[in-house]
Amino acid sequence: MIKISYATAIFVFCIGLYTILSKRNLFKTVIGLTIMESGALMLIVTAGYVHGGVPPLIPMEGQAVNPLPHAFTLTAIVIGASDVALALALVIKVHRRYKTVDLDKIRGLKE
Amino acid sequence: MILTLAVIFPLSSAFVIPLLHLYGSRGLRLFLPIMGLGAFVLTLAAAASGFGDYALAFFGGWPARLGVVFVADGLSSVFLALAAFGCGASFLYFYEQMGTGPWRFYVIFFLLQASMNGVLLTGDLFNMFVFYEIFSLAAYLLVSYSLTWQAVEAGLKYLVMGTVGAFFILLGAAYAFIATKTLNMAALAASFPQMPKATLIVIAACMVVGFSLKAGAFPFHFWLPDAHSSAITAVSALLSGVVVKVSIYSLIRVSLLFFGDALPSVFDVITVLGVLSLLGGHLMASRQQDIKRLLAYSTVAQIGYIMIGVGMGTATGIAAAVFHSFNHMLMKSGLFITAGRLAEEIKTRNIQDMKGLYYHRRGMVLAFTVLAAAIVGVPPLNGFMSKWYLVVASVEKRSFLAALALVFGTVISASYYIRVLSVFYTPGEGSSEHESRRPVLAIAALFSACCVVLGLLPFFTPIWELFVEVGSKALNTKDYIAAVLLK
Amino acid sequence: MGLLLLCLGIGWWLWKGVAAMEDPEFIIGPAAYYIINTAEETGAANIVAAILFDYRGIDTLGEASVIYTTVCGVAMLFSKSKYKRSSAGLSFIARRGVSFLVPFLLLYGSAIILMGHMTPGGGFQGGAVFATVTILLCIVFGSSFEMSRIKPKTKETIESLGGLFFVFLGGVGLLAGAGFLANTAAGFPRGQVGNFLSAGAIPLLNIAVGMKVGAGLSTIFYSMVRVLELEFGEQMSEVEGNDKN
Repeated sequence: MIKISYATAIFVFCIGLYTILSKRNLFKTVIGLTIMESGALMLIVTAGYVHGGVPPLIPMEGQAVNPLPHAFTLTAIVIGASDVALALALVIKVHRRYKTVDLDKIRGLKE
Repeated sequence: MILTLAVIFPLSSAFVIPLLHLYGSRGLRLFLPIMGLGAFVLTLAAAASGFGDYALAFFGGWPARLGVVFVADGLSSVFLALAAFGCGASFLYFYEQMGTGPWRFYVIFFLLQASMNGVLLTGDLFNMFVFYEIFSLAAYLLVSYSLTWQAVEAGLKYLVMGTVGAFFILLGAAYAFIATKTLNMAALAASFPQMPKATLIVIAACMVVGFSLKAGAFPFHFWLPDAHSSAITAVSALLSGVVVKVSIYSLIRVSLLFFGDALPSVFDVITVLGVLSLLGGHLMASRQQDIKRLLAYSTVAQIGYIMIGVGMGTATGIAAAVFHSFNHMLMKSGLFITAGRLAEEIKTRNIQDMKGLYYHRRGMVLAFTVLAAAIVGVPPLNGFMSKWYLVVASVEKRSFLAALALVFGTVISASYYIRVLSVFYTPGEGSSEHESRRPVLAIAALFSACCVVLGLLPFFTPIWELFVEVGSKALNTKDYIAAVLLK
Repeated sequence: MGLLLLCLGIGWWLWKGVAAMEDPEFIIGPAAYYIINTAEETGAANIVAAILFDYRGIDTLGEASVIYTTVCGVAMLFSKSKYKRSSAGLSFIARRGVSFLVPFLLLYGSAIILMGHMTPGGGFQGGAVFATVTILLCIVFGSSFEMSRIKPKTKETIESLGGLFFVFLGGVGLLAGAGFLANTAAGFPRGQVGNFLSAGAIPLLNIAVGMKVGAGLSTIFYSMVRVLELEFGEQMSEVEGNDKN
């Protein structure tokens, strides 16, 4: 069961990579960054799963899941969000200059 | 305690500066030089503490397998010294040029320095990722600092490619966590040889791709020329001199600790990437008409040299790579400072417009000449010394293709640097006799002098043996694991 | 098309790396230690909060610095807007509704921050709720209203003070000789697990992080909205100019 979760996380990561590499619209590139990060984080969180586990809070009834991936994910989400915020700020500035966010038109305007 | 302070002091300086700016700007003028000097001194002290034995600092009092640990050994010491000098030079250049007015620059600068010290010192894989992201974000911001359209686009390109690299590193760390359920580097190094082969290949590839994207090796270097040429001079010197070296340090550390025994073919891949960067960088540089882009492509090529040294995997190879990193910081920071100041004063970056500069700005052009000779590899300057040791290391390992590429690359680099120098020395029309201001001239002269001194030192002192000892210590993973885990 | 095949090929090769590992039946490594020993050593009921703020506190400091860098950078990128124009905000019903909601939202955010060592939550989540309150005010009432209530300088001060408070709490541990960011080893009272006043320095660290994150995210949004309203104002005046001609 856990293997399906791994497969989904890898699939999401690759979709994000494809979006960054192939889309011409700058906003879609930024969305691709978010998707890629979500895929990598899903992989980490899945690694902590234990069959029949309960959340790691102290009045525990049973086996707790691994709390370490939760800590990593919290940190990595904040880092990814900051990257995306900065990317969006730069895209806004590019838009103010060229009045478009289409990468082909921007390249055309530069020549 | 010194190791902790080397990261915490610049970090708290970055937090204090906005308060000083809002509630007493005269305090800013007093405290900024103190903060810069303090960061410089603390980084050098951390470097000195790691030179003999391993120096450790445990955070929160928890042992290494539970918490985060900072480790300083010979490899970190050399790179810390490199970071101290590079950051110090950029700080002085910017402070002399702009004063204490632009306080946001100083905030981002101190965050950059704190996080670079963190990456160089940390002994935990996820902590390295966190500090890596801090200094990457600071680097993206510094590139777009001047807010020209060129700089903003270069910053965006750098951001997208750098973040993709960061996510590959995160993926590699995730795979390492899934396999061993721990993230301490020493504990990982102990359990890597027992991992299944397919997982090892995935982790190795993700890490190499991620670090090469951040360092600017050949197939992934497309952000480097734009970013390093559109930035202001202080930032270009900082990026080319120091920031790419931190990615190289991480590559060395990860490949030696994790893949030294388990997957030696990683080193061949690194060598191939190094040869490609070398040839690609030199060939592209010889076609450039813009002086800062030329220097940026030259950085790509020199990163190739360093990666060839790393890919040898022997103590001599690592020692040569580390020596060349230090020399390259001196040479490239000096080149960017001199060329950048000349380009700012003449208001153009085109090489052909710089005819006859020698007759108007003697000091700067002389410094540029010495530094260019060093980077090409004229004996007995330090560039020649480190390239010689690189060739020795690759011949020792019977890798004649790499040695041939090194020599061929030196010839090409000589050709384009001679082209630039010939433009500087031809008599031409131009402005009046005018010398740059004292502090900038002093920094450039200092770097040129260091190049000469470091070139002559191997003949008189056992400095090369020091580097070889650093290299062989870095290869000795068992000592590292024992020192960290058994405290 | 070729690019899609390349990405799917990378995915298949990544999958082979994962499939080669088998899942263990029980937890190994430091996580087992954390689950067993958190209650006695730190006094926190939330194990994830104990990991984030006690065992690996330096990661959290790094994460807070990432937000700090981004905030400083975004403010720097948009610092040169020429004049301030405010948007009109939404209708009367929306304004009244949000005015009812804001106190409850503030209470909710404070609860998340202060009880981070007992229930899931903590500084980051609570700070995000505070930032959401300021964003709602910006959208519903117009950005000049929000700016007049909470000035940008106040937000910068809160953010820097939060960061300095975090480093100060870590410094207490350093001075006590137990290492930076030490919790019970540095003398912070451990308390009874499950009480409100327990877990040593963890509630204080949560407050520091909450201040920093709330002020930071709010500043990012405000800087971006100012720029977009500026552009919208320019376009509107262009349209009005065309209408007149």
